[in-house]
Amino acid sequence: MKQKSWHLNRRELLKGGGAALALPFLNGMSLGMETRPKQLPKRMLVSYFAYGAYMPNGPDGIPAAGKEHDAWSWWPTATPGPLGFNKSAAPFEPLKDYVTYLRGLDHAGGWSLGGHSSGDVFATGADMSEREKTNNISLDQVAANANGDQTRYSSLVLGTEGGTGSYGACKTLSHRGPGRPIPSLNKPQEIFSGLFTPYAGKGVEDVRAGLKREASILDLMMDQSSSLKNRLGREDQAKMDEYLDSIRALEQRVERTSQWTHSPVPNVDTKGLNLEVSHKDPQEYIRCMYDLVYLAFQTDSTRYATLMLESEHSSSSEMWNYATYVLGYKGATHDIAHKRPADYSGQWDRWRAEQHAYFLQRLRDTPEGDGNMLDRTVVLWGSAHPHASHSTRNYPIHLAGGNKLGLKHGNLHSFEGKNKVPLANLFVSMLNAVDVPVEKFADSTGPMTEILT
Amino acid sequence: MKRFQILLATSFTGAACGAEVAPGSGSFTKEIAPFFEAHCVSCHGREKSKGKVTLHTLKGDFTTDDELERWELIREVLESGEMPPEEEPQPDDAARKAVASWIDAGVRAAAGKSPEMETLPTTRRLTNFEYQNTIRDLLGFELNLIDNLPEDPVKPYAFNNSAEFMLMGMEQIGRYKESARRAMASAIVDPGEPEVHRSRSEWKAHGIDRGIGGDEVGVWGNRRNTPATGMGLKSFPKNGEYRIRIKASTILPPGVGGMPLRLVMGYGGLGENQSTYQIQTVGTVRLSNSPDNAEVYEFRGRIENHPPRPPRAEKGRLLPSSMAITPQNLYDDGTLNDGDRNLSMPRAVIEWMEFEAPVTDVWPPEHHTRILFDSPLRESDPKSYVREVLKRFVDRAYRRPSTDQEIERFVKIYELVRPDVETFEAAMRETLSMVLISPPFLFHTFSGDEESRHFELASKLSYFLWGSMPDEELMRLAREGSLDDPGVVEEQVRRLLADGRSKDFIANFTMQWLSLAKMKTVPINRELFPRFLYYVPRGERAGTEQPYRPTIRDYMIEETTGFVADLIKSNARVSNLVDSDFAYLNQPLAAHYGVEGVEGNEFRRVAIQPKHRLGGLLTHASVLIGNGTGSAPHPIYRAVWLREAILGDEVKPPPADVPALTDTVGESAEKALTIKDLLAQHRQKESCHDCHARLDPWGIPFEQYNAIGRFQAKVPKEGTRVNQFNPANHQDLAGYQAYLDSINTEEIDAVARVPHGPRVEGMEDLKAHLLKDRKDEVAENVLRRFLTYGLGRSLTVHDRFVVEELLGQAIKDGYRLQDMIVSICKSPAFTNIPKR
Repeated sequence: MKQKSWHLNRRELLKGGGAALALPFLNGMSLGMETRPKQLPKRMLVSYFAYGAYMPNGPDGIPAAGKEHDAWSWWPTATPGPLGFNKSAAPFEPLKDYVTYLRGLDHAGGWSLGGHSSGDVFATGADMSEREKTNNISLDQVAANANGDQTRYSSLVLGTEGGTGSYGACKTLSHRGPGRPIPSLNKPQEIFSGLFTPYAGKGVEDVRAGLKREASILDLMMDQSSSLKNRLGREDQAKMDEYLDSIRALEQRVERTSQWTHSPVPNVDTKGLNLEVSHKDPQEYIRCMYDLVYLAFQTDSTRYATLMLESEHSSSSEMWNYATYVLGYKGATHDIAHKRPADYSGQWDRWRAEQHAYFLQRLRDTPEGDGNMLDRTVVLWGSAHPHASHSTRNYPIHLAGGNKLGLKHGNLHSFEGKNKVPLANLFVSMLNAVDVPVEKFADSTGPMTEILT
Repeated sequence: MKRFQILLATSFTGAACGAEVAPGSGSFTKEIAPFFEAHCVSCHGREKSKGKVTLHTLKGDFTTDDELERWELIREVLESGEMPPEEEPQPDDAARKAVASWIDAGVRAAAGKSPEMETLPTTRRLTNFEYQNTIRDLLGFELNLIDNLPEDPVKPYAFNNSAEFMLMGMEQIGRYKESARRAMASAIVDPGEPEVHRSRSEWKAHGIDRGIGGDEVGVWGNRRNTPATGMGLKSFPKNGEYRIRIKASTILPPGVGGMPLRLVMGYGGLGENQSTYQIQTVGTVRLSNSPDNAEVYEFRGRIENHPPRPPRAEKGRLLPSSMAITPQNLYDDGTLNDGDRNLSMPRAVIEWMEFEAPVTDVWPPEHHTRILFDSPLRESDPKSYVREVLKRFVDRAYRRPSTDQEIERFVKIYELVRPDVETFEAAMRETLSMVLISPPFLFHTFSGDEESRHFELASKLSYFLWGSMPDEELMRLAREGSLDDPGVVEEQVRRLLADGRSKDFIANFTMQWLSLAKMKTVPINRELFPRFLYYVPRGERAGTEQPYRPTIRDYMIEETTGFVADLIKSNARVSNLVDSDFAYLNQPLAAHYGVEGVEGNEFRRVAIQPKHRLGGLLTHASVLIGNGTGSAPHPIYRAVWLREAILGDEVKPPPADVPALTDTVGESAEKALTIKDLLAQHRQKESCHDCHARLDPWGIPFEQYNAIGRFQAKVPKEGTRVNQFNPANHQDLAGYQAYLDSINTEEIDAVARVPHGPRVEGMEDLKAHLLKDRKDEVAENVLRRFLTYGLGRSLTVHDRFVVEELLGQAIKDGYRLQDMIVSICKSPAFTNIPKR
């Protein structure tokens, strides 16, 4: 194989592997990029907020019949149907044609994880209590696997704490598959540089040469490991496959990076962005993270993103006290979720809603095609348990955007009691809206027709 | 994880028992099935399946592992008397024994049939902990790489060093690649003389009238421009060993013998209002010399382990990367840290401080020449030299002799890289980095081949007892092929345990075994326990734990891991885990528990008296806090802990269809009842009762210990709001105690009848019961934990007889912990690596 270019080499290897790996189009890649008729992108963000939300009106946060709706309940209104906006949901009022609340949804796979851990499965729906103890693929990665080759980055994984965390204490929403969490990025400067100055000042030729060498080295590593694999027993071979798949994925990333050196990096200036923002100012920080998602979407650097705004295990992170900074509450963030002084927790929920609404409004205010960016971006926002008791039923779930991708908004839908369906049904419909033709995700039983036009 | 208990005292083996049922399925229909029909099927059968267990489908079949595990469960609950439940009609003893021994015979016969399959060690990647240690021992210096790796999974009461948990993904490999390059960048230096970076600061005392001196470091709060605000480094290298020297002394109040001074290095000030900081410890010294006898102290470390603040733009200027060294006074006798009382506390005096890096006493450094050693070939035949370097390095990295083929592949990588980089050193760095991402380095592999078996054994021993690669002595024994000799193994096990590296193993093992990590995140109720932790007293971070000082939580973890290490190293009896006549403490912890006469932050054995209410693991604050709510004890958590960690039972989580505690009794947390009332209500529900009746009583005696792990005879009255703490009035321990006495007015109720055991009144009774009636259970559990960790896989029904044998041996040896580890390492279950 010494005469062949490394590109061809890779393709052969991948073909030979027989694995169902989507190989990006190689030859004339850059040509293809330029001549393909410009199709407007379809995007998706999954955003998570920790410690649940205030739902005072009954077990699992589902309002008991005949009770007056609490002005500070996370749910904007008591009854299903067209949206009204209580104090907690007020920030979304200007966006009422773009948002939907979905009540009574959850992942059965997270039921027995406990409220401190159900965040693990928020974007995966994996059955972590029984069959899938090491979690499973998240919906953004399903999308990235299907369409991620169309952008410089197949997905963007952000979180305020960074890293992967551990089972039961995840600090990322995204998972490549069982046992393969994707570390979230939490440093604005690093994220910005990664997105918009990926070559760190080096010339493109140098970068390309470096990547080429990298790919060739990985190639040799692959050969070496394959020969080792043959000497192992059957079960151990499976372990080696895990390794080989990982190296292969790494090679693909190198290759992809190399291909994209042929397209210009979007020129984004940092005006209006405070990349040195300290966690001491949570509003600035969270908005900065949202801004980075916005910029990544706007420049079509990626189409799929996740953003974990704190985990339930944030006590070791900078964000642990953000409620203190925001509300003047004297105690750790986690305590609000337990003590629930009504105005504190209500105001906290509202503050978090304001940050999310800020992002949605930015998208809506950016024209794109015959509409705006929000029309073509599906945004999920929620948490994995409802209220102070840390029950793992009835997540707070909020869906926005995608109005030109077949979604309709403006209602509170209720899936309680006999209407119960898995939360994963929503995921199926979200994926379908961004051109990922899946019929099933996790424990889904079908699409969620209620939100479709 | 243990699922089956073997109670030797009541064990039934073969002819020893009275009534007998002939083994086999013939007798099943005649004698066993009717027994189940009579005593079990009404709850575990067609109509009900409590605990998801059904017996009516059993056919007397022992062929599959699932069936075997079911049978073992049945035998266990029958033998221990756990089933049928006490309130149900009981079978007579003879029948009970007959059924149990019939099951035992069946399992014994079946388990023996395919033990090899089950005892196979499996390929798995190194845990992050093992990875970090292996790099350290391979390169010869400590490098913090673990923080750059995706965190390893943790599961309560389980060890993560198994194939099931040690999965590999692109992110993992990607980070391994980065880490490998960082490691090699540190290990191999560039040719030529390095530039040495130096910084120095001096401080002067000033008049006593101005309070704490200009050259002093107090316990809390300090003046500006004193050593306490740190010494900024003028410049520093990216890689290399550093040397820091300080001239220091201390001013001690009467009756205090010394104080710990810690140096940290990193960026961000340590002031109360700083929220961006990143510091790592340089080292700690204990000062006791007065300023008239100031001494010079030297610290060494690697600059790579102290991340500098990255260069940044500020107001149009580009600020370079920066870093500072800051001394901290860690004296802690339990006094509150609010108010300025620095002058009445020990103070450190620092005259000057020097920083230098890299250290060039030996250049190139030893870690460099160990890899790129002197050789005539280097000049005469560079290609052969590369091979020679590779051979030496790969042999060590792979923990076994490498093959020519393996070396050739790396030679290819070298040849690929060499033309693109400027120096030979840079090419070797890249080549050797690739060794560190290749499977034989990253994975534990077991081939069982005759030529590699002894090396695999050497690795098994060292990764078990050090969490790291074998040292030269183990490798030599492997080359000689003498690790088959039980005498040699015993000698090695005791040597490895005596070595400092065993501390890593014991800490890692204990953290997972006792599920300690969660204690770090339980939020402590500050109104109830206002002086429990180091809090930042002022500024925006007021009320948060100081993240840049060791807090009492860190000491509590160290208490537990150090206690277990002490027991193992001294070959103490297993009973010490339940109760001991000493505690393992330092000064802050002794103050926490109310033990007098302990000075300094170093841990040591401290003899205790009954009044201290300590001894054993059950009263460790790490355990009690981790299994509490931060405001109150939590009898269910503590009961689960006792059964899982000490008795070795597997306690199932509540089934998914059972509502959470609070949901069953109140509509929100504000209206929730007390835990005791909750428990009572809980047990009234049938769905909860079955499990909780067998669980809760174990947790009740723990009620004598509060949410911060201290003994309490009384508790606050339910419903009273407790917040009258006034730091000004309650600043010393006596004042704090007076405060606690004023709020704790209700007698505690810690009386319970433990399942199938006696009535116990509080912790002392509980411990006595465990030591008297459940000693073998505790010993077996510890044995199983060691074995599971050592094998790197969970135990199965096939391992039961190995455990039984080991337990017999342990009892014969007097229940000694180190002896248990020795016998595990000598047993075929550990040494046998079958050929693939």
